[in-house]
Amino acid sequence: MDAVLTNPLRVGLRQERVIPPQCIVIFGASGDLTHRKLIPALFELHRQRRLPSEFGVLGCARRPWSDADFRSRMEEALADTIASDPQAWECFAAGLFYEPADLSDPASIVRLGQRLDSIDRLRATRGNRTFYLSVSPTFYGSGTRALAAAGLLADSERSRVVIEKPFGTDYASAQTLNKVVQSCAKENQIFRIDHYLGKETVQNILVLRFANTIFEPVWNRNYIANVQITAAETVGVEERAGYYESSGALRDMVQNHLTQILALTAMEPPGRFDAEAIRNEKAKVLQAARLANESEPWKCCVRGQYGAGGSSVSPIPGYRQEPGVDPNSTTETYVATKLFIDNWRWQGVPFYVRTGKRLPKRLSEVVLTFREAPVHLFDAAGGAPTPNQLILRIQPDEGANIRFEVKAPGSGMRSRPVDMAFSYDESFGEPSDEGYVRLLADAMLGDPTLFTRSDEVEAAWRLYTPLLELIEDAPWQLPVQPYEARTWGPAAADSLLADDGLVWRRP
Amino acid sequence: MSAQLTLQAPTALPPREVPSYLERLWGEGLQHSTGAATFTLVVYEASWLQQQLIRTGRASGPLTGLLEDDLIAAAKLAVPELGLPLSTAVMDQRLAWQLGQQPGAAAAEDQRGQFVDAAISAHMPRRLITLAPTLNHAQPLETLVAAYCPLPEEGGGGAACGDVVVLRGGRQALRDNLAMVQPLIAADLPCWVWWNSSLDEAPDLLEALAPAPRRLVVDSSLGQPRRCIDLLVERIAAGQAVNDLNWLRLRTWRESLAMVFDPPARRDALASVVQLDIDVEGDHPLKGLLLAAWIADRLGWQLQESYPVETDGMGPGIGASFQRSDGQAVQFRLMPVPVGSPKIHPGALVGLRLICAPAGRPPLCVILCSESGGCMRLEAGGMASMELAEDVVPLPNESEEKELARLLSGGHDTTNPLLAAAAPIAARLLPPQP
Repeated sequence: MDAVLTNPLRVGLRQERVIPPQCIVIFGASGDLTHRKLIPALFELHRQRRLPSEFGVLGCARRPWSDADFRSRMEEALADTIASDPQAWECFAAGLFYEPADLSDPASIVRLGQRLDSIDRLRATRGNRTFYLSVSPTFYGSGTRALAAAGLLADSERSRVVIEKPFGTDYASAQTLNKVVQSCAKENQIFRIDHYLGKETVQNILVLRFANTIFEPVWNRNYIANVQITAAETVGVEERAGYYESSGALRDMVQNHLTQILALTAMEPPGRFDAEAIRNEKAKVLQAARLANESEPWKCCVRGQYGAGGSSVSPIPGYRQEPGVDPNSTTETYVATKLFIDNWRWQGVPFYVRTGKRLPKRLSEVVLTFREAPVHLFDAAGGAPTPNQLILRIQPDEGANIRFEVKAPGSGMRSRPVDMAFSYDESFGEPSDEGYVRLLADAMLGDPTLFTRSDEVEAAWRLYTPLLELIEDAPWQLPVQPYEARTWGPAAADSLLADDGLVWRRP
Repeated sequence: MSAQLTLQAPTALPPREVPSYLERLWGEGLQHSTGAATFTLVVYEASWLQQQLIRTGRASGPLTGLLEDDLIAAAKLAVPELGLPLSTAVMDQRLAWQLGQQPGAAAAEDQRGQFVDAAISAHMPRRLITLAPTLNHAQPLETLVAAYCPLPEEGGGGAACGDVVVLRGGRQALRDNLAMVQPLIAADLPCWVWWNSSLDEAPDLLEALAPAPRRLVVDSSLGQPRRCIDLLVERIAAGQAVNDLNWLRLRTWRESLAMVFDPPARRDALASVVQLDIDVEGDHPLKGLLLAAWIADRLGWQLQESYPVETDGMGPGIGASFQRSDGQAVQFRLMPVPVGSPKIHPGALVGLRLICAPAGRPPLCVILCSESGGCMRLEAGGMASMELAEDVVPLPNESEEKELARLLSGGHDTTNPLLAAAAPIAARLLPPQP
């Protein structure tokens, strides 16, 4: 033991909740998500001994692959990981199967049911099944219907469906999709995945708020002046132009990920830590949320689109120059908006939410800015005392900071701000599981706490309906404003806060 | 969750008719039941303590096999009455033996095997076979059969999910009829065998009931330490999946110790441990040895020697020296300490002290104590100049049945690699019996 890089005593202690015997069925098994996220997450669970021996993975797609084809393709994709533990892979791969299936073909789903019965016998998976729809969103409704028609969702205790985002494209389509899937399965069988909720730091918002007594008494309009939620990406649209052109930042990031963070930040304490209690509170706070100006939404929202940037050495193309993007595209790659929550806790406190691509830093954070001290007794080094801030860093450099004033050294009584920091790295030093590891495990355990319920999804879509309608009906009122790649978005986004005498935190 | 009775009163059948009755049961209505493709659970349910408490009039029936609060209270009362040391744990087999020497002939209904803990029945075993030995060694065999299902709120639907089979009688009668158990275990489904008794007892029955690849569940706090650890080591070495409830009860200790070294700034100290002390209740050292063995394995120490250490009347302690990978020595002491209110199982941990001496920095002393007991011996003296990390280890408050249910909920066909690595070290730490 010359150098202790990881905590050797921590190994093997993540086995608390062992997943029950089952077969997970992945539709869209030939797609990217399967080999990039899902199989690696399942293999990681296997390596942590959180999957039982009675376990199987059935990949399904239209391609006429065999079990051996599927195994070898997954092996190829995970080659680096497998190299460090080939025995574990051998054991895991013995439970990988493949069945050509087409969700739009009822006969093929019936065949799938027969294959699952044979896997139950072969792997003793007890008839327990998780269906993961990693397919085009257009198949969510019809796919769930096909599963139900084949009787594969009839047992509400032993079957569940995981549905990827986006869940609908607006309020009406989300309502329709909810009606379809709820006609096929009970709500407790439906797991709408939002991978942001798989992040340790997002879950930590709940623990920080409700496992401590020092935060909750000041977590309200009496002490908090405003809240900023930021999710900044340095990357551009990459290979997702086809999807992104029709979604844009509002649908891709704000309606789901950022709104879930908003809900966790603003919700009331649940009566107990269980899925329904937590989801009730999240739904309630989203139902109380509204755009700062619903009748004139263009006054509380800024849309932007990145233009070319970078340097002569490494130029960055603008969004419209990206492959697959319409040269006249009006899709937003940046959104900033201002919200209010009309309840006793938050009345009058503005929540500013922003996200964008090609920004200078990759980071996600929640910043709660507290009200200023009522009387300024001391000179501040910076001219005026800095308001206290609690910064929850979701990624990277996960942790939290509290900023407060202290006496600056010297003979006078001048104050200056300092940070008290908590860092996941410094306190725990172990990398957290990938979000999909946590979320897949929870879905297979039948624990929906970190998944969004139908009323949450609908409330989130309803919240942004005035903006979506405006973009659809009168886009000229909310035009996409250009910003140079690797800058913090269009100048109008700064004005959104400047009107309230505020600035965005520069992380 | 409360324990549940089977759906129907069990049917008493002659042993030879049991297989055909079960075949009819599954042929008629159960082949599509939720339990059809789950697992078989075989339980050796001796319940000697409960039987003796009932026989001597210290507890009332029925005899369920579950160690419930009233039985624990009655057992604790019996310890001083029978002149046993106050440190005697409720499950210490000397208590049941002493009770066996007392007069009494009270009886109660024997519901062992029919009284399924809800945590277990929620997993819907296809078949739950209970072997229930009676105090009367000459009692002939009775076989009882019933269908069962958890209540709807526990996940069942009201229809039958599986069946229970109870074999009740004197130990010899159980031995004589063991052949009927084998065909009752579905060959194509996993099978767990829970030896819910002392490992000193009936090794021939254990051998016959739990061959590999059946998954064995034992409690190494019940029985002679040498026999318990040797059985663990042999079975693990043979490739069988062995689950030890005594090891599982170490979970909170392992978690608490790991937590101390989670901050990377403390990690280096793990490479410079010089001393490890563990205090245990009474004279059953195995749980403490398993903890020490786990630490030694994780930190890459090599055991050099182990030896008995004299104590003040609580039985011998154990000393050992390890060598770290950098060649430096680590001294280990495990000491039995008297306690006024012992926990349920023999050899529960009282405290742990780990002293690290990193070069160029003040030593770090980690002290973990059990919630109910102080660990004054470990806190005594010599630590003024050390960085101190102290914590109280929460007691796991789950019953055996809940621990077992956790295993059944998603088991493995191999032994946990940490236990597999720790058990042989613990076996070498235990000095040979004089």
